[in-house]
Amino acid sequence: MSAQTATKAPTPGRDYGYGNARVRGMRSRLLSARTFDELMTSSDVNKIIQQLIDTEYGPDIETAIIHGRTPAAVDEAFRANMVGTFQKVMGFLNAEAHDLVGTLLGRWDLFNIKSIIRGKHMHLMPEEIEDGLYAVGALSPAELHVLVQLEDIRAVVDTLVTWGSPYAVPLRGALAAYGEGGNLASLELALDKYYSGWAAERLSGRRANVVLARRILGLQVDSINLLTTFRLLKNDLGGISPRIFFLAGGAYVSEDLFNTMSGLSDVDEVLDALKTTPYARQLEAVIATYVEEGSLSVFERALEDYVMRKALDAGRGDPLGVGITIAYLWAKQNEVTNLRIIVKGTAVGMPSDRMRKELIIV
Amino acid sequence: MMDKRLTKVLSAGVFLIALVLPAIALAQDAGTAVVAVAWQVSAAKAIAAGLAMGLSALGAAYAQAKIGSAGAGTLAERPEVAIWVITLQALPEVIVLLGFVSAIMING
Repeated sequence: MSAQTATKAPTPGRDYGYGNARVRGMRSRLLSARTFDELMTSSDVNKIIQQLIDTEYGPDIETAIIHGRTPAAVDEAFRANMVGTFQKVMGFLNAEAHDLVGTLLGRWDLFNIKSIIRGKHMHLMPEEIEDGLYAVGALSPAELHVLVQLEDIRAVVDTLVTWGSPYAVPLRGALAAYGEGGNLASLELALDKYYSGWAAERLSGRRANVVLARRILGLQVDSINLLTTFRLLKNDLGGISPRIFFLAGGAYVSEDLFNTMSGLSDVDEVLDALKTTPYARQLEAVIATYVEEGSLSVFERALEDYVMRKALDAGRGDPLGVGITIAYLWAKQNEVTNLRIIVKGTAVGMPSDRMRKELIIV
Repeated sequence: MMDKRLTKVLSAGVFLIALVLPAIALAQDAGTAVVAVAWQVSAAKAIAAGLAMGLSALGAAYAQAKIGSAGAGTLAERPEVAIWVITLQALPEVIVLLGFVSAIMING
């Protein structure tokens, strides 16, 4: 995506035999549910380090704990491992899979650019911003390092323009609006809209692999649209049309449905409007928790879980298709998220029952 | 793309042979010029034996290519299963052996 990235060209063609066999081999090294149980019963971070040292995370942990056996060092090891794994997988995929998976991983570029502009907006130190970045998309660690060192948002956008990054286009367009009101939402919405449109266009076609990748993208876009709908229920837009928040490329939530839902007054009505989609069941299952906690993060979590399950299910289809790779990468991301929860939970003395509740899918 | 083209050419070849062989057999049944037909039968047998051997070898080669690439991928991540990969890699050789036996039986 970026003109600066000098990566090895993927193998031409659509032979999934080699790549999928490697991914299956890597999948066999994912941590088991039993290992997670053992990790959750660890009394401190040192015990977790000891348990993980013999796993896939060992080399990264050994490197990271040179500076101290702290939760932050272990977190850094998890991040390094995830980035390394994603880059390794992208390095041996065939051309078609590289294109499809690369498009889906564009959401990480979006995440990284958003993190950088948020950090710049809040005048955070470059190191603080860099700690939260995951170079698993098209932007390399070196490129992200350059971006976080820049002075302000304008400099970040100008640098992306120089590199020929596609994300420079929406950012440059929204920069004027940001300059006027200092509202980050205008930049983030422009990025989201650009990515969903760009990815949907790249994932157009009728081949089974393309349809599968488009479905995963569609679920991700739908979950963002649904969360926007829930947020709009609690906010007065003051005459602004909710239509501008709609992201194209969703699987089930059309623009008409989004507009209908945006005009509703409470969550029950939204769930009623979603009855024809698979989201209704997922959201209804957590409605009691939502009433109890009153936080939209309950719905966010339910939607994240649903998208994750569907991405993991993608690996159960064609053994010579892109689903195997998608499922593995999502499973790896899930594993790293769960490990981070366990390390942070253990560091603050969280009970294992509570920790288990926080884990995404084991 | 190449796989599809190769499949089309092979299918067309097999189809033509399938048309020619019954014609020769019919000619034999009709009892016409037995001496003249004899060399045609021998030729047809030779072609059939060649096809049995050649097509089975092509099939085995295709299977080994697929198993080979997947096996290389597996070995890159899990070298401990090398014996299994080599065994699986050798399995399609059976297809060639069957083709070879068929070819001998056709000529015998």
